[in-house]
Amino acid sequence: MLLAIELEHLIQEVGCHPLGCAMSSGEAFALAQQLHPDLALVDVHLSDGPTGVDVARKISQDCGGVALFMTANVKRLPDDFAGACGVIGKPYSEHGVKTALVYLAHCLREGHAPGPTPVGLTLAPAYAALWGLDQTLGRTA
Amino acid sequence: MDDYSESRRAGDRLAAGHGLDDPFAAAIRATRMATIVTDAAQADNPIIFANDAFLKLTGYERDEVIGRNCRMLQGPDTDRQAVQALSAAIAAGEDINVELLNYRKDGSTFWNALHVSPVRNDGGEIVYFFGSQLDVTDKKTAEAKVREHRDDLEQVIEARTRELTEALEQKTALLHEVDHRVKNNLQLISSLLLLQTRRVPDPDLKSALKSMLGRVNAIATVHRRLFQSEDVERFDVSAFIRDMVADLMGSAGRDDIEMQLDLERVDIPAAKAAPFALVVNELLTNALKHGFPEGRGGRIFVGVSRLDGEFRIEITDNGVGMDKQANGFGLTIVQLLCQQLKAKCETTDAEPGTRVVVLLPVNGAH
Repeated sequence: MLLAIELEHLIQEVGCHPLGCAMSSGEAFALAQQLHPDLALVDVHLSDGPTGVDVARKISQDCGGVALFMTANVKRLPDDFAGACGVIGKPYSEHGVKTALVYLAHCLREGHAPGPTPVGLTLAPAYAALWGLDQTLGRTA
Repeated sequence: MDDYSESRRAGDRLAAGHGLDDPFAAAIRATRMATIVTDAAQADNPIIFANDAFLKLTGYERDEVIGRNCRMLQGPDTDRQAVQALSAAIAAGEDINVELLNYRKDGSTFWNALHVSPVRNDGGEIVYFFGSQLDVTDKKTAEAKVREHRDDLEQVIEARTRELTEALEQKTALLHEVDHRVKNNLQLISSLLLLQTRRVPDPDLKSALKSMLGRVNAIATVHRRLFQSEDVERFDVSAFIRDMVADLMGSAGRDDIEMQLDLERVDIPAAKAAPFALVVNELLTNALKHGFPEGRGGRIFVGVSRLDGEFRIEITDNGVGMDKQANGFGLTIVQLLCQQLKAKCETTDAEPGTRVVVLLPVNGAH
């Protein structure tokens, strides 16, 4: 909850609007259906277990939204990122999240990336291709 | 027809060709090797001669074996395939060596290394078969024991391998779990600091909290890097510095300061990563904050290189110079951690600005 509140601050500071936060996969899915966010920040571990992957998949498949993982378990994500556009590895920094959000806002608005992905953000292969990024540039090691 | 008397007569005929003074016949009769001769001319190839060694080995009397086929020695546990190989060789008139489980008169068993070869007359016709029997029970028993031991050993090895594999899987899972918790907790600590920083009105306190947040972020950057690499024991200094610089410069928002990096690929042990990261964080933050007060732009150089037995990390700015740098606590941290790392830290005047060089022993003594 603390992390979510802090994230809401960061989201506002980069000029985006936080719509709401959910603790469990059920809440997350209901909220996504109701509010249709441009971007949903999803941790893999929610209050009802490691259900974040399913949530991300549902959001991208059923709600037409874009999910972004924020997790300490980057290596455990499926290869296709469960339909999510990418991942910010925990622990992230204030600046890292802000830069990533600004970058993704540009990608979502313009349909292409403004440049190589910033440090801390890794794009899913499908989205890197969609936003016209060379794979080698799109991946931050 | 009486097999016994027919075979007896055949035996007599065989003996008639070899008088008592025939040394070969005498040798066969006296040898310790069990030996028989069978009559190929008669139905079912009966024994017509058996030496004393054969009688001793099998426990039969002579008149109990003469006239009978030597399959009399076979029993329920005799290997059928070996018997078939024997029959096939005899039918084809070929030599054969075969090991058979045989039975004595009293029912006890022995392993018989049997050699059978046909004996031909001048016309090339097979007239006799010559058979010799060697008791190889001891060898067979030893072989069986070795096999048993080997099977036991293989089972033990298999069980141990399974245990170790499971232990490794558990350890890997545990490592992931711990990594996950460390990262989440670091995230929590940094979010707590950030939340409080937002609420504190006092600028000095806000600045102190921000410094602490920077230090926690440095450690967080270390942990993000550590488990990303394949080797969790080593820590890539240059990759870390690139991350740190990007983050620090980004959050400072100082477009008027130019960063120059010259980073050689250098690894240090993972155990040294956190103190090292804190030292670099302090030095970079110092250069940023104190070298360049608002309005004064400039350049910061960060270099990593490998010298003889040492790694050299240089951070040089062309800012206002060392006299005006007054972050007491930050410098204390640098001093203490360099002591811990057995590193040398030298600050000199870069005219203008400040040059700090940290020399870190490659394989530092602990």
